[in-house]
Amino acid sequence: MPIVVRIDLELAKRKMSVGEFAERVGLTPANVAVLKNGRAKAVRFSTLEAMCRVLDCQPGDLLEWVDD
Amino acid sequence: MFTTRRAVALLKVFLAVLFAVLVLFQVMSLPGQFRSMAEQSPEDAWLRWPLTAITVFWVLCIQVVVVCVWKLLTRVRDDRIFTEESLVWVDVIVWAIGAGWIVLVGVLGLVGFNADDPGLPLLLFLLTVGVTVVGLLMLVMRALLRQATALRTDMEAVI
Repeated sequence: MPIVVRIDLELAKRKMSVGEFAERVGLTPANVAVLKNGRAKAVRFSTLEAMCRVLDCQPGDLLEWVDD
Repeated sequence: MFTTRRAVALLKVFLAVLFAVLVLFQVMSLPGQFRSMAEQSPEDAWLRWPLTAITVFWVLCIQVVVVCVWKLLTRVRDDRIFTEESLVWVDVIVWAIGAGWIVLVGVLGLVGFNADDPGLPLLLFLLTVGVTVVGLLMLVMRALLRQATALRTDMEAVI
């Protein structure tokens, strides 16, 4: 999958733990792990919106296209 | 969902009643019917056991369908209907209907060629058409279940 979800970077910038992030976005820690290691097939806009709200960033800061 | 739950519960009650009636037919009514027919017309007495076997087999097919529908209803109640395992029970239903249909067509052929009045062949023909429609409908519903299962599986991979 050439689309990479860069949550770790944004979390590190804000010094936020994965557990806190998961709780504030309303995801299970298991699903956050799926997003982080690139096994997610799709992300709902509502999930993306919540992640952007919690991290105060743009979707482009979270999603990156990498040619494989 | 609430309506579904109540409908499922009610359906299960009726399925149980249906099953009980079918068992009654299988062990008492049908064998007794053919025994008395054999006594009334001794020249056709040889038909007694083949006819008993065939009709009991048809009732068995219906019983298999009833049991499978029961199992599928349980899956609907538990919200597990859109999974691969549900297809097993649908397959059993299709096979049961298919087996009954084949025997029915055979009987229709035999009776149709040897009958002197059109009553019984016509009735059997009607029955065959009915079973064909039900069987083909099951195939369509099976395909729909497959589609819905694939959609549900995809949706579960969406975060």
